[in-house]
Order: sequence, then C-alpha cells, then structure tokens
Amino acid sequence: MASIAVSEVDNTIDTPGRRTPLVTGDQTYASVTHMVSRISEESQPLIWWLTFAVAFPSLLMFGCLIIYLFLTGVGVWGNMSPVFWGWPIVNFVFWVGIGHAGTLISAILYLFRQNWRTSINRAAEAMTIFAVICAGTFPGIHVGRVWFAYWLTPYPSLNLWMWPQFRSPLLWDVFAVGTYASVSLIFWYMGMIPDLATFRDRSKSRLRRMIYGILCLGWSGSSRHWMRYEKAYSILSALATPLVLSVHTVVSFDFAVSQLPGWHTTIFPPYFVAGAIFSGFGMVLTLLIPVRAIYNLKHLITPRHLDNMCKIILATGSMVGLAYVTEFFMAWYSQNKYEYDTFVFRAFGPYWWAYWIMFTCNVISPQVFWFKVFRRNTILMWIVTIFVNIGMWFERFVITVTSLARDFLPSSWGYFSPTWVDIGMLVGSFGLFTTLFLLFCKYLPVVAVSEVKGVMSQHAHAEHRHGHGGDH
Amino acid sequence: MSEHQPKQKKIRPPRSFGWMAEYEDENQLLDAARKVRDAGYSRIDAFTPFPVHGIDEALNIRRTRLPWFSLVAGMTGTTVALLLQWWTNAFDYPYIISGKPYASWPAFIPVTFELTVLFAAFMTVFAMLGLNGLPKFNNPVFTDPKFDRATDDRFFLWVDSRDQYFNAEKVRELLEATGAKAVEEVWEDDSPTEVPKSIYAGIAVLILITLIPGAIVLNMRNSRSPYPRWHIFFDMDFQPSRKAQQPTTIFADGRVQRPPVPGTVARGELGPNDPFLLGYDPEGVAMGKGAAVNVQMVSYQQENSASQEPIEEPPAPPPPQPDTSAADDPQASATADASSEQAGEAPSKPAGDQAPTTAEDEGDAGAGPAAEGEPNYAWLERFPLPVDAELIEVGRREFEQNCAACHGLAGYGDGLVSRRATELAQGYWLQPTSLHEQRIIDQPVGRIYYTITHGKGKMAPYADALTPRERWAVVAYVRVLQRSQNARPEDVPADADLASARGDDTTNR
Repeated sequence: MASIAVSEVDNTIDTPGRRTPLVTGDQTYASVTHMVSRISEESQPLIWWLTFAVAFPSLLMFGCLIIYLFLTGVGVWGNMSPVFWGWPIVNFVFWVGIGHAGTLISAILYLFRQNWRTSINRAAEAMTIFAVICAGTFPGIHVGRVWFAYWLTPYPSLNLWMWPQFRSPLLWDVFAVGTYASVSLIFWYMGMIPDLATFRDRSKSRLRRMIYGILCLGWSGSSRHWMRYEKAYSILSALATPLVLSVHTVVSFDFAVSQLPGWHTTIFPPYFVAGAIFSGFGMVLTLLIPVRAIYNLKHLITPRHLDNMCKIILATGSMVGLAYVTEFFMAWYSQNKYEYDTFVFRAFGPYWWAYWIMFTCNVISPQVFWFKVFRRNTILMWIVTIFVNIGMWFERFVITVTSLARDFLPSSWGYFSPTWVDIGMLVGSFGLFTTLFLLFCKYLPVVAVSEVKGVMSQHAHAEHRHGHGGDH
Repeated sequence: MSEHQPKQKKIRPPRSFGWMAEYEDENQLLDAARKVRDAGYSRIDAFTPFPVHGIDEALNIRRTRLPWFSLVAGMTGTTVALLLQWWTNAFDYPYIISGKPYASWPAFIPVTFELTVLFAAFMTVFAMLGLNGLPKFNNPVFTDPKFDRATDDRFFLWVDSRDQYFNAEKVRELLEATGAKAVEEVWEDDSPTEVPKSIYAGIAVLILITLIPGAIVLNMRNSRSPYPRWHIFFDMDFQPSRKAQQPTTIFADGRVQRPPVPGTVARGELGPNDPFLLGYDPEGVAMGKGAAVNVQMVSYQQENSASQEPIEEPPAPPPPQPDTSAADDPQASATADASSEQAGEAPSKPAGDQAPTTAEDEGDAGAGPAAEGEPNYAWLERFPLPVDAELIEVGRREFEQNCAACHGLAGYGDGLVSRRATELAQGYWLQPTSLHEQRIIDQPVGRIYYTITHGKGKMAPYADALTPRERWAVVAYVRVLQRSQNARPEDVPADADLASARGDDTTNR
C-alpha cells in the first residue's frame, strides 16, 4: 500500500528516472492523518502558550489603540503635511503583499501541477487570510471618519444622492482587496472541508464532533462529490490566478496613477507583484520553519519544500532588485529632474538608512540562497526570511514616505516621524496575525491531509508503473 | 459512537439503504468498482479519503455541469459591474473627474474584472455544494462507525438499495467476491432527525440580538426627542477652532480676527494708488472726447446700465480712444474676461466683467468704444521713471525673452510662434498685434504698460513675470522700436554712422 520506502530525509536531490518523494519517512495514509490531526487533538506545547501570551495582549493593545484613534482622530498618528500617507498605508501594503503567497501556492502552483504545494498550501492560505485581515484593518481605520466608511460601497443613498467615484484607483482598491479577501476565504474554506470531515470522524467528544460536523457541511467523501469538488477547485484556481496578480497591481495603481515623482511609474504593477510574492514566501517560511519543528511535521514539510521556497525567494528577490535598479535607470534616462532628484533623495537623502535597509534585506540577503548550505540549514534560512520581512516593510516605507516627504515646493519638504501609536499599531497588527495563526494551528488542519494523500497515491502509482517498465 | 448504532427498540424494522464494502487500498476499490459496474449496477458510489484517480470512469460518473454555472455567474458579474459603473458615474450622478468622459470604460476595467471573479468564484463554490446536496448532516452511511475511516485511510464502495437490479444477497456475494475487507448492510438512521428546539430558540435569540442596534437607529430616526443630539465624537461636532466674529480669550483685544502683521501686504493691495505700478493716475481725470468724467463715475454708470435692462437712462458717456473700433479689435470681449481675472490687482478699474454685456446691449444705441471693455483711465503720458540707455537695454532683454516669440524681434507681430502657426494654417490663429500700427503708436505709455501688466486678448498678463520697472523698460523699448521702424529722414542725425546703424538693424530683425 501507499508507503514510500525512503527513510533518508534528503529529498532535495533529483535522481533521473525516479520521482523524488514529497512525503518522507515511510508514511501511510493513516499515519499522515494522525500526524496532522493530533496537532489539534492533543494539548498545545508550551511554546504555543508562550507565543500566545505575547500575541494576544498585543492584539488587545491593537484594539485599544484603534478605540483611542477613533475617539481622538487621526492626529494620533505621525501623518503630517506633506506625508499624509504614513505607517497605516505602509502597513496596509506590507500585509496585502504578504497575503499573496497563499493563493499563489494554492492556485498558480496547482495549475502548474506543482505537487509539492500540497504540504504547505493550507498554512499558506491561512496566512493569506490573516494577513489580508490585518491589511484590511488599516485603510478601514485610515479614512478619518470611520463611521462613514460604508460610503465606499455603492448603495443608493437617500441622504447623499451620490455614488462612489469608479474612476479612482482607491475605489478599485476597495473592490480588489475585498474580492481577494472573500475569494481567498472561500477557497481556503472549500479546501478545508474534507479535512474538517477527517477531524469530525476522529472526534472523541460529542461537541467536537458536532462543531466539525457543521463546519464540514456533512462531507462524506462520495466520489461524485469529489468529482465536482475537484472541478470547483480547478475553476477556483483559474479564477484566483489572475486575481492574485490583479490585487497588488491595483494596490500599485494607488501610487502609480498619481502624478508624484517616485510613484508615477509604469513599472509598479509587476514590481509590486514580484515584491508581494517575495514577501509572502518569506512570511510562509518564517511561519512554517517553527511549525514543522514544533509539531514534528518534518516528513510532510520536507527539506525539498523549504528548498523550493528558498529558490522562489531568490528569484523574486532578484526581480525586486532588478526593479529597484530599473527605477534608477529610468529616473536618469528620463532626464526628468524631479524624478531624478526623488530617487537621489531616496538613496542619499535623509532617508538613506531606510533605502539601504530595504536594498540590503531584499536584494542582497536572498542571494545567499544560491548556496545549498543556506537552503538546507533551517536556522540560517529562518534568519534570512526575517530579513526579507524587514526589508519588504521598509520597501513600502521607502515608496510611500520618501516620495511624499519631498513635495514639489521646497518650502513644503518635511521629515516623517512615527508616534508611539504608529509603532503600537504595527506591533498590534503582528499580534492580530500571530493570534489568528496560533488559533488556526490549534483548531484547524494545518496541512491539507486529503491533498497530501492524493499526491502519495499518485506517487505510488508512478513508482508502480516505473517498476513494471513503464507500461500503462 | 454507540449513538450511531441502529436501535432495535422501534416497532417498524429499520429500512436497509444498501450495501457497503470496505477496502484498504484505492486499487482494490477501483477493481471492485469496475466489477460492480460491469455487473449492471448503476446506483453505486465510492467513499474515499481523497479523490481517487480513475474512479469516475469506474463508476460511470458523468461530467458535471459546474463550469456552466461559473461561466454564467462570471458573465453576470461582468454585466453587473459595467452597468453599475455606467449607471452611477455616467447616468445617475455624472460628474467630470480628471477630464475623463463620464463613461470611462478603461477606468471601469479593474472593478469589472474583480466583480467577474467574485461572482464566478462564489457561484463555483455554492454550485459545487448545491450539486453535491451539501450541507447534509444526516447521511445513512454515517450510521456505521466503521465509516469514520472513509476520511482517513479506508475506501468504501456503496451499492444503493434503490438500484433497479438490487438484490441484497446478490450484492453481498458480489462485493465479497471483490476481496473486500468487510461487507455490511447500511441501515436507516433512526436517531431523531429534527434539530432540538433549544437550538432553534438559540438561533432566534441571536437574530433578535443582532437586530437591536438597527432597531434603535430606526427608532431614533423616526421619533422626536426633547433631548439634544447625542454626540459620540464631541470634538468633531464642536471643534475648538473659532469662527469669524467670535470672541476669544486668547488675545488681549478679545477678537478672533487678527490684524495683518505690520509690514505685510495683502494680495492686490501693493501701492493701490501708485501710478508707477498702475500705469495711470487713479486720482486723475480720463481725457476723452468732450467727456471729463471721473473714472469712478464712469464705472458706476457702467455697472448701473449693466444691471438695468432694458436701458432707460442715457448710456454712459463715450470714453476716449475713438480710433479703436469693434471691427479693429475682435478680441474685445476676451480682453474684458482677461482683465476681470486681474481684478485683484487693479482695484479701482471699471467693472470690466460687466462691460461686454453692456457692449452688446448698447451696440445699436451708438455707444462709444468704451463699451467694448476698454479701460478708461487717466493714462500716464510720460514715463514715471528716468529713461536712459541702461533701462532701454533692460527693456530690450526682456522684450526679446518674453515678447519677441509672438510679436517678433522688431515688433511686427511675426514672431516664431506666429510664423509656425501661419505655416500650419491654423484657421483660428490671430496674428499678434503689430506694435507699429498707428493706434499702438498713438497709445500713451501708461496704456502699453497696462496691457503688459494685464494682458489683452490672447496675450497673457506679464505682471508675474516682469517687475514694474522691467515692464516700464519694455514700454521704453517698444517706443524705441516704434521710433526706429517709423523713422523719418529728419530723425537721422547729420553725422550718423550708417554702417553701425545697419548693424543694429540686422540684430533687431
């Protein structure tokens, strides 16, 4: 039966003529089910509670700061003329970018039949949802009069006699992020239905059985259901693939459609999308390296998975580096002195430190993944992904703040300084993100069990066929 | 899991739903499914922990209609998005933004794309659930505790008792022959199927609680209250900043409005009475044909005649400059518009913006050229500053930088811009005025200064580009050009150096 006789965990080497195993350690279907289900069924390790003890108070602080913001006004932030888009928008773009890896893994890698995605897609999709929740919070509280935020929706208002302005990128953004959040959520949920049924069927307590029974909508595993389910999954992947590329494109329109030097560039959409995938994979690795160690998922999330993700980070990090260089080239080549000065200011002005933190973390630090030792050693890898996260936050900071800080009139030039509320909200958004991810680990299937089993089955068939001289 | 066992206490024996065979391997399941299918059974199904490759063919499962649902929903999304955006931004509430057309289809694309994906994605998931008959919480297969492994590592083949060839014994034999690990009959689930009343009650209470905020808002909107409004954000409704004319305790004089800081000049208030800045004497008397009326008076009368229609009073006294007729100056109304924009800088000039109306109203009444919006001032006839070679040199420099592009280096109205426009045969292009027309030569220096300051017709005002002294310098240079281009023989000094004069001439042209 579908056990794979590979005890050695080095599956990063491809042997010609042999399919490299994606699940190691002589697993059976039952052992895979057990490996994932026990995370939710057993009590959580001490490290979970320690992390939760930090993350949950941060989330509470985030809530308190939002209430303080509502009652006092946006003046509690460091947003001040000429930098009207400060950290809240930086955080928004940062989190939306992180939210790209999940759907990319679920949809694009699915369409390309990259079977290694099955071990990591669930956690990555969960990360996407939580990152988009963090992202959606910031523009929501940034509108100033939050109690009128519903004016963004096109509804026939008897009081306003007005409609939203559909020619504005900011409204496109509402639709793009809203669609992305809801489609990612429903995609994630649909993918989880069979695994929730597994949880239901393994439940010992009646309450647990009932809750998971309701959540999985009474999934039975009927082949007719599977057939429609797989078709739906393919269609959703095909729909989500352009969607995931469109979201950061539209977010980049927020900047690119304006006429500010440093923002008004046609390179922004691809540059933002590459950066989003880069930061998303960085965050996936940041989360999965501890998860696979703590929950002992090393046979499911194998070195090969980490190796592949490191290669994607290397590729997208280099694309981002190319975009940075191209921006400078265009600034020089355009001979537009405002554009040119903006970029010289970025790299060598008062914000030089932010620019070079960004450049070092995003372009130079992933280059270590050219070397195999960095793609094998999880601790080194984890450190690099932390740099990637820092670098991508600074990229958003550099784009947003340095372009605004130098207005056209030298008399309006300014220097942005965050307030304690800005810092608290950034920390608080990480608290929200971490709390949600911890709860996800505790209550939901961290790995897409049914998809892993499908890959194991395919692999066993392939090996079987191979053993019989490739006859069909 | 004992609650899933069929209970035998009931009088009616539990109904059989079918037979279920359990396999350890997906390959065994596939082989068994093909055998059962080939035996002629059609109401068969398999329950597996993951989609088994090849099971569709083995069970004769037809392809799903699901993609059609997605397609139709996607097209609905496209249509809804386009209609929504067109209706809201081009039809119901049209307004111009960034000079884009009302129906800016390219700008509508992002939202159209997003709604297409949104509709199609939701329809895909809900149609998948609907076609699968989910959610469905009581399924006969759930009655068997063994079946719990269908989502773990076991594969089940199912033959429904409603199949037209169904025969319990034959089916059991067939399934056993396929090498099943276990073959069992599935019984009706006789556990109570109704949801407990307490759950309904709980849901109802939850719904009621969620309705409370809305009900409060509705009640508040539709009722009267003796109490003042409730201000959640007090400082948004009552901002600490003071309004005009309110008292304050911050300043010693108790007034909110502050006097200007000493030494500052408000816009348009720089030397309002200085002929050097204005080009005319505001205290002086406009010298016209038989009319010696104060400028102020003329403007009052023009305002009156403009506001009273039909005109009963005699029209305003004809102002001077009879040599400028409507036919000569087709840009008259444009002039008025341009000069009205400059109202802030010429506080005491006549109400220029009303002048065009007056002109049209009074055209038949034989009103003078003043009705064309020509300002009527006591123009300075002499330069208010000493004219020397240095000033003329400044004037030459500024003229060649600012004026020559249209008026030409020698002032014939044949600058590069004009020549290019003529070459392109642009029908709407008006030749810039030649500075050597008799009416320009006859104009007082103050009048030319005024034209440079405020612009005229298509000519932009140059008050922002040139200082008053530079403007006077340009006037002086214009006078030099006029003198040079219209020179009479007696202007040439007897001892003139003709060679150097020729040189000057070529540089000027």
